[in-house]
Amino acid sequence: MTPYIAVALTSLVAYFIAVKRLGWRPSDLGRALGRMAESLGAGVIFAVVNALAAAGLVLGLRTLTGRFFSLYSLDDLVWLAVSMLQGWAWGLWRDSKAAQLR
Amino acid sequence: MPSSMIVRALGLATLALFFLAAFTPLPAFLYEMITVPIHIERADAIVVLAGGGVLASGQLTDTSLRRTVRGIALYREGLAPLLVLSGGAGRRSEGAARSVLAGRCGVPDTAIFATSAGHTTHEEVAALQPLLRARGVRRLILVTDGPHMRRAMGLVRDAGFEVLAAPVAEVEAPTQPEPRLRLLRAALREGLALVYYHIAGYL
Repeated sequence: MTPYIAVALTSLVAYFIAVKRLGWRPSDLGRALGRMAESLGAGVIFAVVNALAAAGLVLGLRTLTGRFFSLYSLDDLVWLAVSMLQGWAWGLWRDSKAAQLR
Repeated sequence: MPSSMIVRALGLATLALFFLAAFTPLPAFLYEMITVPIHIERADAIVVLAGGGVLASGQLTDTSLRRTVRGIALYREGLAPLLVLSGGAGRRSEGAARSVLAGRCGVPDTAIFATSAGHTTHEEVAALQPLLRARGVRRLILVTDGPHMRRAMGLVRDAGFEVLAAPVAEVEAPTQPEPRLRLLRAALREGLALVYYHIAGYL
């Protein structure tokens, strides 16, 4: 559990640096966590759509070419990380649009 | 905006699931749900399903090796007179590499039947059925990974055989977050495969 104790400690230290040194408002942290959850949610949506599209592609290629393409090619964590990046970029894009409208 | 609330709720649910999976025994519980308990008695054959094939070096993959060793051990215990070593279709024959290993472990050539049978579990069982029937096999001990056993057993049973389960233990109840997440991944992957096999009408 040592790494997780370290995560808790660095979170606390970061919180105090942000509030005491940088002057960030503690009330904004809740909003930031909400935005993080939104980016994560968007990433999950991208992940589901990506998985369905990839499975459809594999099955389609099998049918069209008569060759074997394995569904196990979907069993890879990198596409999950990329989906999360898609969700993150989507959220940032949406924020910049909202900032322009303000 | 309601849509952003839904996306946020989805993100929070995902976070909750992540922490539950990493820090509680939830993955082990799901894994138990998908696996089949060991049930071994004497049978006509021990059938070791394909598992990842052969590396470029000619060595069996870890999964294939674990399954093969389990099959050899069961044979050496005298549980069946025939050891069927299946292998996925491909340039290098997994079945042949497995039979070499079995021979070196003391299984006589006459007791080994190696075959390359299909790309998927469904194709593999369909290809094995007539071959096993021709050898008079009615009751068999099936060797594959724990999570894969339920799907494979269903197919073999539907093919008209009495099946006894000899799952290969992949992991034991982990206590660290990363192995727990790996266990959840294995359970989810096989759960999705089961759903796919049901939708495709294979089970």
